Amino acid sequence: MKKRGRLEIIKDILRVIQENRNSIRQTPLLRKSNISTSKFKEYFNELLEKDFVKETKSNSGEKRIALTQKGFNFLERYKTIVNFIEEFEL
Amino acid sequence: MAGPPVHSLIQGVGIELIYSFVIILSSLMIYYATKEMYELSSYKGIKYFRQAFLLFAIAYFFKSFIKILLVYFGASRIIDINPRFMGPLTLFIFMFFGSLAVFYLVYSLMWKKWNGKSNVILGIFYVLSIAISFIIITTRQIEVFIGVSLFIFAIAIFGLYITHKQSKNKKKKNNIYVIYTLLFVFWILNIIEVLIPSFFQFYQILLYLASLGVFLTILYKVLRKSGSD
Repeated sequence: MKKRGRLEIIKDILRVIQENRNSIRQTPLLRKSNISTSKFKEYFNELLEKDFVKETKSNSGEKRIALTQKGFNFLERYKTIVNFIEEFEL
Repeated sequence: MAGPPVHSLIQGVGIELIYSFVIILSSLMIYYATKEMYELSSYKGIKYFRQAFLLFAIAYFFKSFIKILLVYFGASRIIDINPRFMGPLTLFIFMFFGSLAVFYLVYSLMWKKWNGKSNVILGIFYVLSIAISFIIITTRQIEVFIGVSLFIFAIAIFGLYITHKQSKNKKKKNNIYVIYTLLFVFWILNIIEVLIPSFFQFYQILLYLASLGVFLTILYKVLRKSGSD
C-alpha cells in the first residue's frame, strides 16, 4: 500500500469526522484514521491548533470532535490543492 | 562601452513601465491566488512557489526603477549614475531579489529532497544572492556579468533536471518543465539586458513579449488550477 502523505492523512482524519455526522469521539477517530497513536496525537494537535477541528460536549457530557468551517473548507479544496501541487511539481 | 542614446532610453521607458507593470501584476496575482491554498494546507512547496513570485515582483519593480533612473540621470549604464551610491545600491537590490526568486522557485521543486535542512539550504541561497549582487556591483566586466548570469541559470536548470528525473508524473503529459525552463531563460536574459543595455538593442521588444508570454501562461495555469478563475 502506498504511504500516505501529510495532506492525505489530514484529509482522511477530517473525512472520518465528516462521515460521522460531524461528531465523533477521539478513540473511534483514532481507530478509523489508520495511523499510530503518537502520529494521531501529532496530527490531532495540529488540527486543533489550526482550527480545523474543535472539541465539543454532547448532551450526556461526552467529549466529541467536530469540524470547524476551516475544516470543511479544507475538505472542499483538498482535490484542488493536490492537483495544483501535481501540476506545478511542488 | 558606448550605451544606447538617451532619447532611445526615454522612448523605451514607456514600454518598460507597461512591461514591468504587467509582470508585477501577474506575479502578485499568482502570490494572492495561492494564498488560501497555502493557508489551508501549510504545504511548503506552495509556500516557496508563491514567495518566488513575490520576489520576482520586487525584482521587476527594481528593474523598471533602474530604467527610470537611467533616463532621469541621462546615463547609459546603471553603475555610471551620479550620485554614486544610487546606481550600485539599486543594482544590488535588483540582483539580490532576482537571484533569490530563481533560487526560491528551484527550492519549491526540490524542498522534499532537502526537507529538514531548509534553514541551511535557504541560508546558502541568501548568501549566494548577496555574493552574486556584490560581484555584479564591484565589477564592470561583461564577461563577469555573463558568467554570473550563466551561474544562476546553471543552478536553476540543475534543479529542474533533478526534479524532472525524480518526478512521479513522468507518464502524465506535463509541460510545466518547459514553462519553468523558459521562465529561467527569459529571466536571465532580463538580467543581461539590465547589466549590458546595448546587448538586446534591436530584440528588446521580442524579449519583453516572450517574458510576458511565460508569466501570463503561469498565471493562467495558477488561476485555472487554484480554482480562482
